[in-house]
Amino acid sequence: MSSSSPSGSGGELTERRGIPAAKFIQDVETYLSQSGLDPNSALAFHQERLQQYKVVEMKLLAQQRDLQAKIPDIEKCLEVVATLEARKGTGEALLADFEVSEGIYSRACIEDTDSVCLWLGANVMLEYSCDEATALLKNNLENAKASLEVLVADLQFLRDQVTVTQVTIARVYNWDVHQRRVKQVTPTAIAAADS
Amino acid sequence: MQQQGSKSGSEMEVTWEDQQNINTFSRLNNRFHDLDDEIKSAKEKCDNLEDAGNELILADEEMVRFQIGEVFAHLPRDEVETRIEEMKEATCKSLEKLEEEKVSIVSQMSALKKVLYAKFKDSINLEED
Repeated sequence: MSSSSPSGSGGELTERRGIPAAKFIQDVETYLSQSGLDPNSALAFHQERLQQYKVVEMKLLAQQRDLQAKIPDIEKCLEVVATLEARKGTGEALLADFEVSEGIYSRACIEDTDSVCLWLGANVMLEYSCDEATALLKNNLENAKASLEVLVADLQFLRDQVTVTQVTIARVYNWDVHQRRVKQVTPTAIAAADS
Repeated sequence: MQQQGSKSGSEMEVTWEDQQNINTFSRLNNRFHDLDDEIKSAKEKCDNLEDAGNELILADEEMVRFQIGEVFAHLPRDEVETRIEEMKEATCKSLEKLEEEKVSIVSQMSALKKVLYAKFKDSINLEED
């Protein structure tokens, strides 16, 4: 199956970040004769492609869910750091109730402070000044939002390819049905003409 | 010539423009469902903030426990009131934007439906199942 054959689709991507594009078929008959496939093999090929697309879609959706959970978390952290920073000048301690375990809360008295500790994951926690913490969190938030945007675009591209493949399958199938009907009609037409 | 009785649409030609219309319709449909979910959760958030505001007016205490992140900070009532107002405004504004987007998507989808049904009639199904 040649991947460099010219198509009439004009300037579209042939693949995006590892996802192969589904080539749009201008004419089913030409496609089948060029590729040398019979309708059933063509259908099988496209069905398999569809399955592969579905697998990739599952993976991307899982990544999207992760990012969508991560973003509110970072925003919450930013809010807390902002609150602490706002209190810095006043000298009052902040009383906060936090969850020790499910349903059990304890009270903390947070004095005026210049630094916060951020959990970086993998059992690592680092102390930062409030400004550094805000900068780091904002950076992480920007990166997460940018990754989410790219991911959403990937998903849209993928869904387009799925739609193209589904339409191709329908067209090849219909063409096949049409051909069989033509073959059935023609012999009877000839027989009627003879008699 | 032949096949005059056949209306199966199996002779329909699908052009690249048709394919792009179908792709766009699919994208809009997906976005429409996502929007529905987003609007639902934004409405819920708005209602919760409304309830919280009302509770605050009824409550007597000077210090109110307000959730910031994962902890409940003890804040003076006025500050909490201000914060709730700000959050309500932001949520309501985003809800408005989402509703506007939904209206625009619905109209785009019905325009595309007209075009696609005109060309493909029965050979295409664009309804929700």
